[in-house]
Amino acid sequence: MKRLMPSLRAKKRYLPFELISEEPASRSDLVREIMASAASLLGDVTASECDIKVLGFEEGKGIIHCSHIKVKETRAAMAALTRINGKRATLHVLGSSGTVKRATEKFLANYEPFEPKAENVQE
Amino acid sequence: MGKPKFYDFCVHAAPDGENTVGEMASLARHFGYSGFALTNHSDKLPKTRPLLPEADGFEVFRGIELVEENPSKLHGMIGKFRSNVDVLIVHGGSEAVNRAAVENPRVDILNHPSFDRSSGLNQVLAKAAAENGVAIGLNLRPLLHSRGSRRIRLLSDLGANLDLARKYDVSLALTSDAMSCFDLRAPREMLALAEVCGLEESEALEALSTVPERILAKNRPGPGIIREGVEVLEEEDFF
Repeated sequence: MKRLMPSLRAKKRYLPFELISEEPASRSDLVREIMASAASLLGDVTASECDIKVLGFEEGKGIIHCSHIKVKETRAAMAALTRINGKRATLHVLGSSGTVKRATEKFLANYEPFEPKAENVQE
Repeated sequence: MGKPKFYDFCVHAAPDGENTVGEMASLARHFGYSGFALTNHSDKLPKTRPLLPEADGFEVFRGIELVEENPSKLHGMIGKFRSNVDVLIVHGGSEAVNRAAVENPRVDILNHPSFDRSSGLNQVLAKAAAENGVAIGLNLRPLLHSRGSRRIRLLSDLGANLDLARKYDVSLALTSDAMSCFDLRAPREMLALAEVCGLEESEALEALSTVPERILAKNRPGPGIIREGVEVLEEEDFF
């Protein structure tokens, strides 16, 4: 099958993110909570326009893709997430990119997810 | 124009909130803030003044959120705490307290003014807030932690206050009102949420960056400033 030309494909933005949470979460729980949060904050209509998909998620970091005109709404929906499986959690969007490759190279390679410790700041 | 600096002017740490100042500061720094104000509620203050952490390019400002039902006692507390803090917030929630807060030019921010069936502000209060330079706080924590009808209520209050603020030119301060590490959000996420909730891009940016800077400049005058309008200039500064 011939691939669709890049100019004809739906435009996407890839948002690399890290998860800061009380307990590690599984991908399926994360997907469920993000969709619930988007539907609650934006409504089903706008949430469907955002076209949110969790591409990959492991060890507290991952990539979400969304429609290129709905980055703001997607970020807001990700920020509105407060709990995963009843455990408190926060998503931190690291940036936004037009390709998976660039999103991975620039933001996720060598990136260590944040641990809430007071070490980085001197008391 | 350089990169804007972001400040979160309402953060609670232990014993009011859950995490220590150090933990909050390290997370806020990781998120890309230039600083935040530690504003514990006045009824849950620690016995000793907390040591504020410092780091390169990140500062924790001393602040307080006053909780008081009685307007005349509130004015007394404002006088008592004003000189010790950089950021003075009043915890609103009744007609009398809201009015007392917006009519006192020594107050920086009025937080959650809404009560019963009112958004907490009206034309008279908004005008007074603009004249006295009191900003209205937009807190994210209640928005994040509620769903459905409660969040709809909060958003419609926010919308009503936003309309008043635009009409009378009241400044807005976008804050997290975080009680724990998990209530903090990165600046970009705060802006995105504010925009989804009805603010314009420039308004949201101003509420997270310019307004806090203005409050700081007001409360931390330069070395030569004696009082508003009176400033001692060094010799070379004359021309």
